[in-house]
Amino acid sequence: MKAVVAPLRTVALIARREFLARVRGRAFLVSTVVILVVLVGYAVFVGSLGGSSGSGTSTIAVSAETGAITPALRTAADDQGRIVAVVPVADAAAGRALVASGDADASLSGPPDRPRVDVESSLGGGTGSIVSVATSLTAQAQLAAARGVDPAALDAAVTAAEPVVVAARPEDPAEGLRIGLGAVGAFLLYFSIQTYGAFVAQGVVEEKASRVVELVLATVRPWQLLLGKVLGLGAVGLLQLVVLGAAGLGVAGSAGLLVSGAGLAGTLVSVIVWYLLGFAMYATIYAALGSLVSRQEDTQSVLTPVSIVVLIGWVAGFNLLLSSPLSPTLAVLSLIPPWTPLIMPARIALGGVPVWQVVLAFVLTLGFTAGVLVLGGRIYARSVLRTGARVPLREAFGR
Amino acid sequence: MSAPGSQIGGRVLEIDGVSKRYGEVRALVDMSFTVRPGELFGFVGANGAGKTTTMRIVLGVLAADSGEVRLDGRPVDARRRRRIGYLPEERGLYPRMAVGEQLRYLAELHGLSAAAARRATEQWAERLGVAARLGDEVQRLSLGNQQRVQLAAALVHDPDVLVLDEPFSGLDPVAVDVMSEVLRERCAAGAPAVFSSHQLDLVERLCDRVGIVRDGTLVAEGTVDGLRGGAGADVVVDAPDAVPGWADRVPGVVASRVEDGRHVVTLDRDADDQPLLRAALATGPVRGFERRRVTLGELFRHAVAAVPGDTDPAPPARASERVG
Repeated sequence: MKAVVAPLRTVALIARREFLARVRGRAFLVSTVVILVVLVGYAVFVGSLGGSSGSGTSTIAVSAETGAITPALRTAADDQGRIVAVVPVADAAAGRALVASGDADASLSGPPDRPRVDVESSLGGGTGSIVSVATSLTAQAQLAAARGVDPAALDAAVTAAEPVVVAARPEDPAEGLRIGLGAVGAFLLYFSIQTYGAFVAQGVVEEKASRVVELVLATVRPWQLLLGKVLGLGAVGLLQLVVLGAAGLGVAGSAGLLVSGAGLAGTLVSVIVWYLLGFAMYATIYAALGSLVSRQEDTQSVLTPVSIVVLIGWVAGFNLLLSSPLSPTLAVLSLIPPWTPLIMPARIALGGVPVWQVVLAFVLTLGFTAGVLVLGGRIYARSVLRTGARVPLREAFGR
Repeated sequence: MSAPGSQIGGRVLEIDGVSKRYGEVRALVDMSFTVRPGELFGFVGANGAGKTTTMRIVLGVLAADSGEVRLDGRPVDARRRRRIGYLPEERGLYPRMAVGEQLRYLAELHGLSAAAARRATEQWAERLGVAARLGDEVQRLSLGNQQRVQLAAALVHDPDVLVLDEPFSGLDPVAVDVMSEVLRERCAAGAPAVFSSHQLDLVERLCDRVGIVRDGTLVAEGTVDGLRGGAGADVVVDAPDAVPGWADRVPGVVASRVEDGRHVVTLDRDADDQPLLRAALATGPVRGFERRRVTLGELFRHAVAAVPGDTDPAPPARASERVG
């Protein structure tokens, strides 16, 4: 029993040292606060964009049978200080096609005093008020054209004149929040994995540069030192992630941004699970690379190639996530192990990921991480005591 | 785990036929020696001779290509290795970690409980004169104080065996005294100790036995007196009127030469020097007659200068009492 406990106690001691050394430093507090400010700022910025969306121009497709409403649309737009572009189309189907392709905000069809309004997800505020005012105006004009109208009937007719809105894909009230959670999750994962992964490399190089590694390795096996380091720094990253997540949700909650049905709890759990997996993978890679050099100045040069690969995948994934979350490219990207932990959690947050993809991604990443641990541990053990010139990878892999 | 200063059951450190290559370079070739309980073994040799490599292999920091290191007759494993106090040639501590925290951490890594680690840290910091700096980061200490902390780091887990690579380099005289005292103390308690040094006078003064390394092999091993014994003794005679060759017929004389106007006569190992004194007096006045002890430095230079395979007559090292 003792034979098992002692190595684990060693790992725990190393992990504790790494954890305390980072958490006590002022950098941890400062970076946590800075990221929190950035995230809150991002949320406020995105929120303000949402409020004023559709300002200025509205493009409205009008079917032939509804053509009578066109002058009223222009009048209503002028009154509201907005610009309206009216696109005459043959029928309702042609109008709906324009809406679906995003070339029109709405498509009007049917009787001009009670038009059907086809929209993609919802009728925006600006376009909506133009359409309803124009409908009323048209109804008034039609009644005025008929002689001897009873004023009461006029009022009733105007009140009854109302557009009927039909959305192709009704808006999900939680969709915005889900996209936000996915984006924030992806950002936090990228940040945590990159930052704390780099800390692992820095720590490895610091031990080599200060030569303390020889003293430590005289009583500790290399795998224990590596594992302790990864666990300790991983715990710091996790702590920061949880603090940021909790604070972020607190801010969002008090700002009334949280809507039920966004799968909040699930997203949190998935972000943490993917963080743990992703961190283990990248931290080991970075530790192995760090062990190749002996000076802090050289750390960046060995990490850069990997950082670039990570960055490319993350930027591509992040953009696809926001622009076309259902694209097959994104699905493929999220199944490639080095990128999975950075992209998959955001896709899961958005919803609609088939279960088999999540399972496959998890299994692939787990397998890849296991391989990285074995190979990275070997490179580390072979290189960590070799000081001086950079150790060529070929030699680190061993003959 | 023994309390500080307590008796350590006689441990024996054996280095048996250890070889190590770095590519084409043969760093160690069949390195063998034994350090007995309570023995202070001085390890000397030119730079690059293999001292540091040997010590690294003892600590498992390097793996030997062949051969074995044993403690109490059993291969040194992780558990036994924790009982060794190691001072690496390349000094190193965590620069941004406080002294006290660092010593406690290293003590705990070697298996001490948190409480024992705290006690040992205070005790060694006090002893080595850095108690006032326990709360400071190592990088804020002067180089001399960093060396003291480094020594404390090697001793803080109350090791049963000491392996110290150049423990005296960079130390001020006070720290040298403390270090020597600690070494003697640990040995008196039964701990075997190996240390390397280029300060041969210190080695000569402190060590029970000495090993001289050349090209990765131990070329001489024994007590300083034992090593010296093989060389016989030089007698310096200041006899101004003596003519060259005056001593040639004296029994026991092996060779003689003139250095700075004085005659240096080499006597056989067991020869009596009194016949030589009488022969000198026979030449006229004698102003000086002195047996010169061969220093470890001279022995060392002799051993290291000898070319491998050379059958040079009686280099001091060859007559050593070889153990193991």
